[in-house]
Amino acid sequence: MELVFILICGGLAAIASLLVIFARSTLHSALWMVVSFFMVAVIYVLLHAQFLAMLQIIVYAGAIMMFILYAIMMLNLRREQDEKVPVRNSKIFGLVALVVLFMELVMVALQHGVEAIHGPITDQLVQAHGRVAVLSNFLFSDYLLPFEVASILLTAGVVGAVVLAKRTK
Amino acid sequence: MISYNLYTYLAVAGALLCFGLYGLMQHRSLIGMLISTELILNGAGLNFMAFNRFLAPDPAIGQVFALFIMGLAAAEAAIAVSLIFAVYRKYHTSDPERVNDLRG
Repeated sequence: MELVFILICGGLAAIASLLVIFARSTLHSALWMVVSFFMVAVIYVLLHAQFLAMLQIIVYAGAIMMFILYAIMMLNLRREQDEKVPVRNSKIFGLVALVVLFMELVMVALQHGVEAIHGPITDQLVQAHGRVAVLSNFLFSDYLLPFEVASILLTAGVVGAVVLAKRTK
Repeated sequence: MISYNLYTYLAVAGALLCFGLYGLMQHRSLIGMLISTELILNGAGLNFMAFNRFLAPDPAIGQVFALFIMGLAAAEAAIAVSLIFAVYRKYHTSDPERVNDLRG
């Protein structure tokens, strides 16, 4: 049953990302990207990560796509995108490289199994405390330093974005 | 059966990675390249989540990494969009092949 849902959602995510690449205008590819984000959020729910699925929708489909759509509308890119672009050699070579890379990934995954090592936290503990509690426990104890570094990075990103986008004359 | 599910998730993540890489190579606007980068980051997050579900030492440890990927993607999108604005103001184009002047 799970496999059917994975195949449906994964297939839809793959189709949506194909349409992202091959859409004629940048606006269309951004909108197909939203579909792809939602499908990945559904896959996160299938992987028992409901919190991350909500964050995926809020952060990716909400915040990041809002940035990108805002940029597209501000720059008015449709004029440039509608020009006919001839098929270049690099497109064909890129497609071949894409297929080869994907087959390589699948072959490596199928031929070399990965062994699992089990740590102290079991599924029963997760069931008892809830996934968000376990996740935040990791986030604020073992991964406190990366968490703080990420917050510094976000602050620096906001300041840098304001400085870069400010008109300097 | 469980590992079979894992491979399906990994195949979806690999497909997202490959499409993102191809889009990064062939897109003719900076914003399209930014969107393709988001696709790659999404594939990476999905990969972490799949291994977290089936093979992680502790459940929810991969979610920490997926969370960090999301935060980095948000910061990266903000910086990239403002860089694209700056480039557009200087060159009046968002085609990366026409942005080829070092001094501006």
